[in-house]
Amino acid sequence: MSLVCERSCDLNAQLDSQGRLTAVPEVQVVKFPCSGMIQPLMVEAAFKAGATGVIITGCQLGDCYYREGNRMIRERLLGGRPPGLKKTVDRRRVIGLWLSRPQASRFISEAKEFLAVVTELGPVAPEPAKPTPAPKPAPQPKSEAKSEPENNKAPAGEAKSSKATAPADPGPEPAAQPKSETKDEPKTESKPEAKEEGKPES
Amino acid sequence: MYTEPINNLNLKLEAWTNVITTSKYNPFYYHGALPQFYLWVLYLSGLLLFAYYIPTIDNAYSSEKLINAWTSVNYITNTIPFGAVFRGIHRYAGDAMVVTILLHMLRVWITDRYRQYRIVQWLSGVVLLVMVLFIGQTGYYLVWDERSLILTRMTCSALDAIPLVGTGLKTWFLNGTELTNYTLANFLFIHIGLSFALLFGLWIHYVRMTRPVLTPPPVINYILMAAILLVVAWFPIESGKMADLTSQPNTFEVDWFFLFPYAMLTSMQPGIFWLTMLAGVVLLCVVPYFVRTKEVEPAEVVLKNCTGCSLCAKDCPYQAIEMVPAPAESRFKLLATVKPYRCSGCGVCVGACAFDAIDLPNMPDADVTAQIKALLQS
Repeated sequence: MSLVCERSCDLNAQLDSQGRLTAVPEVQVVKFPCSGMIQPLMVEAAFKAGATGVIITGCQLGDCYYREGNRMIRERLLGGRPPGLKKTVDRRRVIGLWLSRPQASRFISEAKEFLAVVTELGPVAPEPAKPTPAPKPAPQPKSEAKSEPENNKAPAGEAKSSKATAPADPGPEPAAQPKSETKDEPKTESKPEAKEEGKPES
Repeated sequence: MYTEPINNLNLKLEAWTNVITTSKYNPFYYHGALPQFYLWVLYLSGLLLFAYYIPTIDNAYSSEKLINAWTSVNYITNTIPFGAVFRGIHRYAGDAMVVTILLHMLRVWITDRYRQYRIVQWLSGVVLLVMVLFIGQTGYYLVWDERSLILTRMTCSALDAIPLVGTGLKTWFLNGTELTNYTLANFLFIHIGLSFALLFGLWIHYVRMTRPVLTPPPVINYILMAAILLVVAWFPIESGKMADLTSQPNTFEVDWFFLFPYAMLTSMQPGIFWLTMLAGVVLLCVVPYFVRTKEVEPAEVVLKNCTGCSLCAKDCPYQAIEMVPAPAESRFKLLATVKPYRCSGCGVCVGACAFDAIDLPNMPDADVTAQIKALLQS
């Protein structure tokens, strides 16, 4: 599931009639006028409805068309600005991508990568999962961001029903996670073109 | 949007810049703060110049040696420690301010961020630009070399050509009917007074924006300052010959950032000149109306859900939400209200609301949630 700002990377050419990404059909796209409109509640709703991961896409940080939307949603997800995301939401399954309009190919490659990570994480545990003292994914090294929190979970099969324990991450963790993701953002910026042609769709 | 192709190029350029600078230090993202920084530089360097500047043409009451605007500028440049540096900074920071303002303007135009709910910013920006150009010109009168004399005379004849109010404006400008000591005092007042009037204009420029970006990160400031100092070192300022009221100098060097109107005046009738200037300003003012796009649909408060927590008002980037006292029968103290003419329809307030109490009319959050669920079920 992907919640995408209309003003950030231009996905219109990449979608099929049902709002799926043609290159990565597992990714479903909901468009917003601005990423700032996304409520943390909506992210929770997506997980409740069976999503295994949520991609949030906004303009480049510092360059929101509507001035501050991307910053706001980022801070809300990181927990620095109310309303925040529930603590029970697995932070490894939420990722922020800050892309400008011409960067659709970058989005696709990142989405693929994220999909692989989330698939590895397996399905989301049902709500009442107790916050167990899960082994925290260590703060990530800069270069390879998303695939970081690898398999402290056995990759279980299907999305909906399995009860594989996806422990909720404890408090301090959410701050660490998406931040390091966004940080390395500019690093990989330059190479989208090359990436995209090479990969056939999955 | 007709600027879309340019914008895509621009965004690519900025993405590359991000690779080098990271988005936090990308100067493109501080385009509005750059002229603001130069304004502070101008205020501070101008303070020193103001301390030693003497706004007269001659010293009729002192017979010892000639003390006037030109000699005081000379004194600042050659005698005061670092005077020449401050003078250079003041001159080139002015040029840099015009350049950064034009870049700022170009960027908001390219990225389509100047219309509709941003109209006040655009219009006040046009006024500020005109003010900055005029203030810069008055700076050139103050040094009182031959160029100043030519510029003053050209201004007088151009003002004279305006029907009805022209003569009055000229008297106002010269502070009398001809060039006297009072004239330079008036120039100094215009130069400094209008500079501070810029602050009022800037207040209007910023007032509809929550948390305007006024200061770039210090690193960018240092670079901007270093750029100025380099230019000062490479091209030190030299005054021309002292103005002599009895002479008729007729060539002058044009600083294209500020003195282009005078370059125009040399080759056209004053009447046509004023019409061109007027047309230019009017054109800038109406640019936002060339593009017809769909109206913004302002956010709407769902009255029965609003708890008056004011999160949306805090997060709104355009000061479009005001908290008002809630009606008497309400359980809460405050109620959010939207000022539709300020609203951009971006929905940040929707994201800020944990109570489903504010909606974009074309995209209620219940619909979005339903859409998310439907997509996932399919």
